[in-house]
Amino acid sequence: MSNEYIIQVEDLVKIYPGDVKALSGIDFSVGRGEFFGFLGPNGAGKSTTIKILSTLLRKTSGKVSVAGLDLDESASSMGVRRAIGFAMQEVGLDDLSSGMDFLVTQGLLYKLGRREAKNRAEELLDLVGLTDVSGRKVGTYSGGMRRRIDLAGALVHRPEILFLDEPTTGLDPQSRLAIWDHLNELHSQGTTILLTTQMMDEADQLCERLAIIDNGRIVAEGAPKTLKDEMGDDVVRIMLASSGGHDGGGHDRSASEELYEKALSLTSGQSYVSGSSLDEDGLVVNVRDGDASAPALLKLLIENDMEVARLAVSRPTLDDVFLKHTGRTIRQDNADGDAYDQTFRRTMGVGKGR
Amino acid sequence: MGAILRETYFIYRRNLKTWIGVPANVISPLFISALLFVMFGSMFERTISLGGFGTDDYQAFLVAWIIVQVVVFSGTDSGFSLLMDIMSGYFDKLLLAPINRFSILFGTLMVSGTRALLQALVVVGLALAMGVHFETGVLGILAMLALAVVFGLVWSCLGIMIALKTKNAQATQTAGLLFFPFIFLTTAFMPEDQLTGWFKVAVKINPVTYVMEAMRAMTLDGWDWPTILTGVWVAVLMMTVLLALTTWMYRRQTA
Repeated sequence: MSNEYIIQVEDLVKIYPGDVKALSGIDFSVGRGEFFGFLGPNGAGKSTTIKILSTLLRKTSGKVSVAGLDLDESASSMGVRRAIGFAMQEVGLDDLSSGMDFLVTQGLLYKLGRREAKNRAEELLDLVGLTDVSGRKVGTYSGGMRRRIDLAGALVHRPEILFLDEPTTGLDPQSRLAIWDHLNELHSQGTTILLTTQMMDEADQLCERLAIIDNGRIVAEGAPKTLKDEMGDDVVRIMLASSGGHDGGGHDRSASEELYEKALSLTSGQSYVSGSSLDEDGLVVNVRDGDASAPALLKLLIENDMEVARLAVSRPTLDDVFLKHTGRTIRQDNADGDAYDQTFRRTMGVGKGR
Repeated sequence: MGAILRETYFIYRRNLKTWIGVPANVISPLFISALLFVMFGSMFERTISLGGFGTDDYQAFLVAWIIVQVVVFSGTDSGFSLLMDIMSGYFDKLLLAPINRFSILFGTLMVSGTRALLQALVVVGLALAMGVHFETGVLGILAMLALAVVFGLVWSCLGIMIALKTKNAQATQTAGLLFFPFIFLTTAFMPEDQLTGWFKVAVKINPVTYVMEAMRAMTLDGWDWPTILTGVWVAVLMMTVLLALTTWMYRRQTA
């Protein structure tokens, strides 16, 4: 097996008792030092995969190698466990222990000496910012603190590979960002990270490469940017100001039809524009790279004595990618799993599609 | 070999802390033991006049039963504590550690043994405070404590197996009710001579009777070897079988 891949999975199948097929043959590999993500809705098979990789669950069939060890050989289990750290979704914490005790025990179980375990615990408490509460029982910690102590617990032995099962689900934005920072830091230090998430922005922001998983199958794989690029062009929407007059923030087209026609013909002649059209909001320009084209478009219009009231760049999101490959949006799926979210979305009328 | 002992010790220490960390875990069974002791001691005090008890002190007669019931009933605690770890996910965390997975089971069982020892010790202390005279003295008391530990492991294994099988906290706790017949279909309150009919047959079939009779012999009669060895043999045999079954079941679920 090549050394550049630290995780290799071929045709992995998991069937739970009662003929429940959780994974119907997935293939993927993760490079050494890579930040790899599994994106998918609840029940897609993300957790099952990560549990098989971490030796918590036995596979039905397929080939799996982690850290150069073949999971089929019974002797590898111990080696795999030594190489990995795993922060879990339903944080498996010891609520009756103090944060400090939890980490020390964790260190001892990972073969550190007593003093070493204590030092490492202090170091990690400092890293995740929990030194002040290290004497308090873990059961009294807030959601964000729990995830952080859990992350610290997974790091006691400085694992080569870090598994994270939905590390920020249910966290407030601030705690989420704190976790993201820790993960980016670990990644920059060379740790290979495999994370599962059902959040588009998390996958998008953190992962170098993604596998989108649905119903036990990988439906798309690649860098977030590549996946989105495959969806097609970016869209630049432009609203013109009526000539001479000022235009506030109104959404009606205030500029004349004539002006728009002129803008349309101007823009469609540009080499970087793959198409442009008019709709009730204004001018719609399709371009390959929205961020790079927007200034050029703006300049073009201004040079031709047109005043731009609004300009917005939008690009395909991972949600669009998911929609394309599964026919559903991930949010609709997850609404079923979260009563509060569901009610909220229904009441507020949000979350339907993009 | 050294590694598994070390690992078992870490798990043991953590589980013991978890158990002691909740004072109710410790106090409730002790309170119940004291209550049963005083309550049954007074309730049936005068039955002693029926004869065949081998003593004039009804409370001395009761000691063996109080010890047995406390270690039997605490069997479900072991299953329950394991289950709590499974449900919280801490068990998975232990499975992920590069340790021999049996150390988790053994660490849990060692806490069960410790618990049985402490509980039996408290009952003995209570009995001494109430003026019960132990015929075999300190040596006998130590032997009784050892027997209580062995027998406690039997019921802890049952509790753990129920927990592993059901994976349900309520079921595990309720299963403790199934231990009732084993505790009461014995010579708990009456000597065998005073029992009749189906009850007497049930008492003779129930292995708990023999373990209890061994303890009772040590309390009331002195070193009555046939009775004591029968009890020891029954307890050790049961422990061996159940440890094997539990290990096998645990292996199937985790290895």
